Amino acid sequence: MSSGVDVNLENIWIKFGDFVAVREANVNINGGDFFSFLGPSGCGKTTILRAVSGFLNPSEGRVLIGGKDMAGLGPNKRPTALIFQNLALFPLMKVWENITFSMEVSGASAGERRKRADELLDMIALPGQGDKLPSELSGGQKQRVAIARALCAQPDVLLLDEPLSALDLKLRQHMRTELREIQQRVGITFIYITHDQGEALTMSDSVAVMRAGIIDQIGDGHAVYDTPATPFVASFVGENNVFRGKISAINGDEATIATNRSGELLSKITPAAVGKLNVGDDAMMFVRPEVLKMQEGDAKTTISAKVLNEEFEGNSYSIYLEGEGGKQIKMAMPNLGNDPHKAKGDMVSFSYDASNAVVMPAGDLASE
Amino acid sequence: MKSNILFGRIALGVYFIIFFGYLIGPLVVMGFTAFNSAAFPSITPWQCFTYEWFSELFQDERILNGIKNSFIIGFGTVILSVSIGLAASLVLTQVWAKWRSTYYTIIIAPILIPGVVLGISTLVFWRQVSDMLGGVPLLNNGIFLTIIGQSTFIASYCMLVFVARLQRFDAGLTEAALDLGATHTQAFRKILLPFMRPAIASAAVLAFLASFENYNTTTFTFGSYPTLTIELSQMVRYGINPSISALAVIIVTITVFGALTLEVLRRRSKVKAGDIKPSKGLPSWLFGNVATILLVALSFGLIAMVTTAQSYSPQQCKANYKEARQLENQIKIDALQAARAAAIAAAAANGETTEESGTDEPATQGGATGAFGGVFAPTNLEGAAGQNSGEDNGAAAPASPFGGVFDPTNLEGAAGQNSGETAPAAPASPFGGVFDPTNLEGASGTGGN
Amino acid sequence: MKKDKLFAEFFRNNGVVLGSILFFLVAFWIVFLILLPQISMLNYSLHPNPINLDAGEFADDYTLKNYKYLIFGPEGASDAFNKVDLMVFVRTIIAAMAVTVMNLFLCYPLAYFLGQSKGTGFVRLLVVMLIVPYWINEILRAFALRIIFGDVGVINGLMMQMGLIDQPYDFINADIALYAGLGYAYILLMLFPMYNVIESLDRNQIEAARDMGASWIRIHRRVVIPHAKPGIASGMTMVFMLSAGALAAPQVLGGTSSLWFTQLVYQWFNDTLNWQQGAAYAIVLLIASIAIVLTFMKIFKVNMGDIGK
Repeated sequence: MSSGVDVNLENIWIKFGDFVAVREANVNINGGDFFSFLGPSGCGKTTILRAVSGFLNPSEGRVLIGGKDMAGLGPNKRPTALIFQNLALFPLMKVWENITFSMEVSGASAGERRKRADELLDMIALPGQGDKLPSELSGGQKQRVAIARALCAQPDVLLLDEPLSALDLKLRQHMRTELREIQQRVGITFIYITHDQGEALTMSDSVAVMRAGIIDQIGDGHAVYDTPATPFVASFVGENNVFRGKISAINGDEATIATNRSGELLSKITPAAVGKLNVGDDAMMFVRPEVLKMQEGDAKTTISAKVLNEEFEGNSYSIYLEGEGGKQIKMAMPNLGNDPHKAKGDMVSFSYDASNAVVMPAGDLASE
Repeated sequence: MKSNILFGRIALGVYFIIFFGYLIGPLVVMGFTAFNSAAFPSITPWQCFTYEWFSELFQDERILNGIKNSFIIGFGTVILSVSIGLAASLVLTQVWAKWRSTYYTIIIAPILIPGVVLGISTLVFWRQVSDMLGGVPLLNNGIFLTIIGQSTFIASYCMLVFVARLQRFDAGLTEAALDLGATHTQAFRKILLPFMRPAIASAAVLAFLASFENYNTTTFTFGSYPTLTIELSQMVRYGINPSISALAVIIVTITVFGALTLEVLRRRSKVKAGDIKPSKGLPSWLFGNVATILLVALSFGLIAMVTTAQSYSPQQCKANYKEARQLENQIKIDALQAARAAAIAAAAANGETTEESGTDEPATQGGATGAFGGVFAPTNLEGAAGQNSGEDNGAAAPASPFGGVFDPTNLEGAAGQNSGETAPAAPASPFGGVFDPTNLEGASGTGGN
Repeated sequence: MKKDKLFAEFFRNNGVVLGSILFFLVAFWIVFLILLPQISMLNYSLHPNPINLDAGEFADDYTLKNYKYLIFGPEGASDAFNKVDLMVFVRTIIAAMAVTVMNLFLCYPLAYFLGQSKGTGFVRLLVVMLIVPYWINEILRAFALRIIFGDVGVINGLMMQMGLIDQPYDFINADIALYAGLGYAYILLMLFPMYNVIESLDRNQIEAARDMGASWIRIHRRVVIPHAKPGIASGMTMVFMLSAGALAAPQVLGGTSSLWFTQLVYQWFNDTLNWQQGAAYAIVLLIASIAIVLTFMKIFKVNMGDIGK
């Protein structure tokens, strides 16, 4: 198997007429990494993938694969293989012909191809299914055939365009694990496109979060989840409570925010924003539902609110609260067997650890 | 309410009968005329059941030659128009939205341009090109011109077939193939082409049929290679005899056979794929079975026909018919002669002499028509003339005792047979041509070939 | 600039080999089969016939005399206008319109019936019955009608045997056979476009309209016909253009006294061998029928893109 090669995007701009689909993308992907582009639909992540695979040329910038400039090379000349969102299995070819199509076009004999197909079918746990047509397979089986077909081309980089989006939840979770296993086995670079943060966080070594053509943050799952670089990332990845206000004091990597409705609150400054915030700036503070504790703390990390509703979700409870001025707050508590049940309308005080909250300059949120 | 529904049903039934009567009736009637021994294609009166028109058809050199030319041209047209149509449909999916409607207008226009105009413009243009290049025989060749002229609009039909199929093509498949290392040509050959195969097959059939039956364009471009349609048009215009009907019967039979076979095959593949949907009203399996039954019945009918054709002879029937007709004619001639004698006697009694028509030889048609404008007499006389000359088993007997005296075509047909001519294209009759401008036109047209 | 980019994109999407083939085929078709021949015919029609040049006229001269001939007739003729040819032209156009309308009324109920009763075996049988006659030569179809309408034809034969008439009725010269034949020749081109659009009409719309108490006439006027408009327009356009440009049916079924305009064109080409004059007549036919179709499309607000669907 080929070893992983680096993929570098240098200052990529992609424009369609007046519309800028991708703006100044700089991404360095290490060889053998599982790298994800995460973003809502229409953010330009598929466009980037098509630029890497060669279906379109960037208006500016360079795509380097293994250090080589790919400019002018079509998709059939690049060491990449793409797994399409709808899988794009050839409906008129048998499974084994689908898998070994890349060998067919390079002139391999039928015997060779058959042999290779059987090996790959074993690998994807579909032995003996080679003579079926794609239409005779289930969704998960088609998925695996598509992977085998891409791997058969022995690419240096495997590109995956939301390949799990058509599967049901159970299967999706299973395929996540399987994909990750395959990636570790073959050791090549995977570039994965998804709008599902769960997929991105569970599988990736690194995640790039995109918004409207701009890459907001690149980092591993923890970095993206715990220390989001922008309000968009904070609100898009996972759930978050947002408090708007102005910076009233800065102390090293901590800041105090005079929030609009919830008084003064203390928070860690997110690493990307350290040194960029000044007193008086518009700012946003994010606190995740699961870091809120149903107990009072310091004055600057305690909020009072009225219980609106409580939802039981099996492994956890979600509690919806209404603070001063109608401020909506969500709190999540694990189900540890002791029911925290609160009556509707109860006033409660809850707190958080300032190191679990992040503050950053105000900006656009992800619109649900 | 109930009577309303009943009334609706009846109205629908009547409408269906009218519509399909209009559509199929003429073909059925034509089919019957192929088996009637009457020389002019007709079913009233029925003379004798015969296969002779089929053998006459197969002996007609011009028909056979026309079929050959039609096949050559059809083949060329299929290749040219299917490839152009496919290319045009592929380009249509890629043309910029801004240019798309202009492009579509241009490539759909040939369907709307009258075939006559296409034929003329093709002829004129390639003649000019040939002249400019100092005379290239190929560019004035009838086969070349006809293929080009027909492909102009048949390619549009093919394009429409392909566009319909392409709408269901997932462009991602081609991308997937490219991504897996295929060249564009490989992706086209291995992915798009197999997907388009059914459409290519139907476009090819459509193109061949359209080419085979084309008249309007071909009539200007065929040069010295008349197609079957051209030959037929000449036959139809200048000398109708039922061998045309025989040809129609053959074409209809082949067509029905093909359609039924296709239906049975389709039905079978659907059963295999297991996707036959139960439907209200007539269940679809019934039609599958109906198609099979019809197919078997048709095959048996054909076999029976071919076998009987070996042994069956209409000679006896014809002889009987001839005898009956001769007897009838004799009676009428006798009656006429009696009448004429009476007239002469009357004239003589009045002291005048009547010399305008032959006294006792009634075979001159013109005279007969002039002298005895009666409805029945002249045609019968004419028929008698044919028989008197001992013509070909009496086939020249006019179709109908009501045969129109004033119809030039009829006279023409009779005259043609009298002179023992097999190829009826030349306007043989001195009477036929004179009164009919179409015939005149055709006469010089034929001369020009 | 943009054009360069467009071509570059086209070749990148299709590859050089395939792209060139596609481009060549389409360009060949559009330029050499569609555009240049029409232009060449137009050019031809603007030249005098080299065989009978007027004094002081050369074959290379541009002239409108071929068009003038259609309108004013030969120079020195007694009539101010070329009444015969103009009458033929007007009659052709009007008759083609009449045939189109006749086909519309004849086909609409069947198109509706076929379109709304989906995929039963009976419907497929009907479709086969519809198509089979159209696999048969246009000439033969016209000929079949001639057998029926001729003086010794089936109808006259039957009527005379039943004693309804004692002289054969001349269907040919009354042009009844011609109109029947033209309608017959292109009826499928009216039926199928209508059938296609009506098939795409959601049955529920009709049910809903009926549920709200609309009468059948109103349902057709307000729901079905507006939906079917592109198909109706497409069918009418094709039937009109093809009828006006028909040659086979008029030659086989036409009466002796009245000609179809295409027959005049045919005569100029094949009898008189005056191609220039014939080209002028063909141009007039082409432009007139296109103008009529475009006018009607404008009136009924139909797009070119609907044609052929």
